[in-house]
Amino acid sequence: MKKMKLDKGWGLGLMIICLFSACEKVIALKLDDAPAVVVIDGGVSDQNEVQRVKISKTYSFTEPNKFNGLSGAKVVLGVDGTGAIVFNEVSPGVYQSVKFKGKSGSKYDLSVTVEGQTYSASSTMPAHVPMDSLTFKSFTFFGETKNYVAVNFRDPAGIANQYRYILKFKGVVEKDVVSEDRFDDGSKVNNVIFYELNDLIKGDSVQVELQCIDRNVYRYFYSLGQNTGGNGPPVSPANPPSNFSNGALGVFSAHTSSIRTALIK
Amino acid sequence: MSHTFRLLLILLLSITFQYSIAQTKRTISGNVTDAKTGETLIGASIKISGGSTASGITNAYGFYSLIIPMGKYEVAVSFIGYKTTVKQVEVSKDLRLNVALEEDNQLNEVVISATKKNENVSSPQMGLQKLSLREINDVPVLLGERDVLKTLQLLPGIKSAGEGNSGFYVRGGATDQNLILLDEAPVYNASHLLGFFSTFNSDAIKDVSVYKGGMPAQYGGRLASVLDLKMNDGNRKEFTAEGGIGLISSRLKVEGPIVKDKGSFMVSARRTYMDLFFKLSPDSSINSNTLYFYDLNAKANYQLDDKNTLYISGYFGRDKLGLADTFGFNWGNATVTLRWNHLYSSKLFSNTSLIYSNYNYVIQNMMEDNNFKVNSSIKDFNLKQDFDYRLSNNHSLKFGLNVIHHTIAPGKLSADESSSVNPTTYENRKGLESAMYVSDEWNVNERFNLVYGFRLSNFSLLGPGNFKTYDEDGNTVSSKYYTSGAVIKTYFNLEPRLSASYQLNTSSAVKAAYNRNVQNIHLMSNSTSTSPTDLYIMNSNNVKPEIADQVATGYFRNFNDDKYEFSAEIYYKWMQNQIEYRSGTDLRGNSNVEADLLYGDGRAYGIELFLKKRFGKFNGWIGYTYSRTERQFDAINEGKWFYAKQDRTHDVSLVGIYKASTRWTFSSVFVYNTGNAVTYPSGKYEINGKTAFYYKEKNAYRTPAYHRLDVAATLEGKPGKKLQSSWSFGIYNVYNRQNAFAIDFKDNENDPSRTEVVRTTLFGIIPSVTWNFKF
Repeated sequence: MKKMKLDKGWGLGLMIICLFSACEKVIALKLDDAPAVVVIDGGVSDQNEVQRVKISKTYSFTEPNKFNGLSGAKVVLGVDGTGAIVFNEVSPGVYQSVKFKGKSGSKYDLSVTVEGQTYSASSTMPAHVPMDSLTFKSFTFFGETKNYVAVNFRDPAGIANQYRYILKFKGVVEKDVVSEDRFDDGSKVNNVIFYELNDLIKGDSVQVELQCIDRNVYRYFYSLGQNTGGNGPPVSPANPPSNFSNGALGVFSAHTSSIRTALIK
Repeated sequence: MSHTFRLLLILLLSITFQYSIAQTKRTISGNVTDAKTGETLIGASIKISGGSTASGITNAYGFYSLIIPMGKYEVAVSFIGYKTTVKQVEVSKDLRLNVALEEDNQLNEVVISATKKNENVSSPQMGLQKLSLREINDVPVLLGERDVLKTLQLLPGIKSAGEGNSGFYVRGGATDQNLILLDEAPVYNASHLLGFFSTFNSDAIKDVSVYKGGMPAQYGGRLASVLDLKMNDGNRKEFTAEGGIGLISSRLKVEGPIVKDKGSFMVSARRTYMDLFFKLSPDSSINSNTLYFYDLNAKANYQLDDKNTLYISGYFGRDKLGLADTFGFNWGNATVTLRWNHLYSSKLFSNTSLIYSNYNYVIQNMMEDNNFKVNSSIKDFNLKQDFDYRLSNNHSLKFGLNVIHHTIAPGKLSADESSSVNPTTYENRKGLESAMYVSDEWNVNERFNLVYGFRLSNFSLLGPGNFKTYDEDGNTVSSKYYTSGAVIKTYFNLEPRLSASYQLNTSSAVKAAYNRNVQNIHLMSNSTSTSPTDLYIMNSNNVKPEIADQVATGYFRNFNDDKYEFSAEIYYKWMQNQIEYRSGTDLRGNSNVEADLLYGDGRAYGIELFLKKRFGKFNGWIGYTYSRTERQFDAINEGKWFYAKQDRTHDVSLVGIYKASTRWTFSSVFVYNTGNAVTYPSGKYEINGKTAFYYKEKNAYRTPAYHRLDVAATLEGKPGKKLQSSWSFGIYNVYNRQNAFAIDFKDNENDPSRTEVVRTTLFGIIPSVTWNFKF
């Protein structure tokens, strides 16, 4: 068949619109409720502060978002196989230590006993990498300029580093992403956090925390990001690989911390 | 190897000896071509009747060979869409009979003839689907862009990998388990624009066959299916040129004789240029963007003499995507096939092919302080030697060899001095895949026919490079450096193939088939759809060849003087060494990717029903598939069987083409399928103040059912004019069904205390208009 085509441009134009603005609709979907599972979200930082472990249970998708705190847990932190710091429950599901400062190179073991089951995880605090500055960056895509904040620091050469970036606006976590130095080991790094600042007004500020995290914690957050399409094309979702034993969800992270605030001028 | 060679030789000699005793028989052989263009016809049927009978079909080069006792015969040659030609011959010595068939434009009329229109029933081959280019051109498709791969997805057992996607699943296989051959060259990425269009420009294609099961022994290397596409050879009689300029895409095809009746060439090209719209914008952030793809198919052939013909064919295609001066991404395939057809005798036909195949992509990030460029490719050099040997009236042998050398360059990362990215080159991986096969089509008697044979395949992973061995948890156990050419690991596999038919009467048959297929090269894609950057890996010290065993049986029946064709096939398939990933696997520049792989089993079964009306004013088909595809991995889903992502319970397609008058043709397609197996949340929780989802079982949910109705109408211009033109009107998704392309779970933007389910629809109702012309 020898035929030539003259397609109407708007057909593909429509497709492009669909691709870039996607025709989205909120729908109702019946989801099963699985028996609740224990979730542990805890950390130790290298700042002299109260360290916190949050313990909760999963709950139904249809319920409003909440922290479904789980009370009555015994939370004990071991440092380098010695000593035991006991965490006390300050509100349902929130457990705190006394003020102390974690140390790079130390291995921390967290043990949580709740409802007759013990969950344990360990994490080693990496070396501290300080944040040098926050800078603003803008990109223009299809005639629209978008503004973002970028984190600047110098990656130490010769060792594998993993970073976590937590961006807060008005005290609320807006972005929680991770990166590693596989492609830019030893370089001066300038990593853009893709949280759009366009709606912010003069006088607003965003706070960014740079954490150095261990390999397992990195993998946990990388996998969590993949579920939501944060790291390229969406993958078939799965529970991120937790460092807790006995099937608890969540992660325990011994991390360094470096915080800076950027003011919108 | 030598051991197997000897085995092969003994087998051949024993059969040859057996039949060399009775030598009062003679051979009739020749080529079947289109009378107007000189194009060879693949699969044309030849039937000899008289004192004795014999029948056969032409091979991929239009050649046939039959053996018959001396005497007077009537030879009838037929091919769908052509007038049957009948010749009287007297056979006293070996006879060369070339036949040119006249195109039959009165397709509406059923031509009653003595020839084999029941090839689908009488052939021992099962699991084979063929589509004519006529059918492909009449079926409505997205944006009027007719597409071989999307039309194939309307056949039972072949499923679309997604909305508007040219990727496909065959009998529970994944998209990378299809062997896609264009003039024998494997095509690694058969899609453009992230899957919306296939790389096959139907202007350049002459024959499309898909094997879903019972693959003949000459094919190997992939588990699920073989899609064998043959390009047009070019007009041997006269020059023709066709062209056109459209708003979105432009095509040009030129063909003609090199030396009349001796050789010809064909060049066919298409390019989309949506980016030209960007150029109209005064804004530099818009007008400097690029988004297009092109295809170029070229082929030439020359018949040196009666016994020798040379062919060269090539395909070059590329997608280019560029975001102003910040980001660039391009990818594409290049294949070149050089072939030599040689007739050793009227019984022994040989084809030697040298094939080069290359797929690569380039990603470029041009942002100042982290600029980089990634180059990745997979390159094959392939030598094939195939023989067709007509042993006797009822034995037809195929045997041959195939050697492929693969080089996979997973990536070369380069960057400027000013960039934070460090230039890195990842080790290339080399492998040698070789196979030998023999297969015999045996007409045991009038009723019982058989194709049986085997393929012996071998794969060796070659150095140089550092090769690591991982334990079950993905920890490195050992690492060793191998020098260039050193063999790291070799796998041998014997793949038996068998397909048989028993003719119940002239219009019905039962068939059965068994085949083992082995796959030595695997596509790493942990995403829900395929992407141009998906990584290929080969068998290694960690990765074993994927193996599938399939049994199938079916009932085939034609009705009403072959006007209707019906088939029912049932299959069951076992798969070993299937591959999945640990969660959190990062495929980008990951030289330790094998540490993240998990291995398990698969099983697939189903029933496929197909009813087709082949001729008449109204024709078309109904296809229905019931199927299941499951996988079992110790480290996934607590070791329980789970549905594979390509599992879909029901799949229905209806295709109707109605020729209302000499000028008007109407057509319509309806598809319905159960949603895909997916993983949805079974609860939620909070991590660092953000909502996270809890997944209970893998792929235990279903996306909403998919259905869609498309219609098209074609108005042909008044006949008899020099410039022939036609209009095609189409509507995709007539009732604007909002099919789910993706289902996302996220917090409501305005009320973060609520989580919602968001459905993304890609294509609502989309009309299209196309103007076609030829002269």
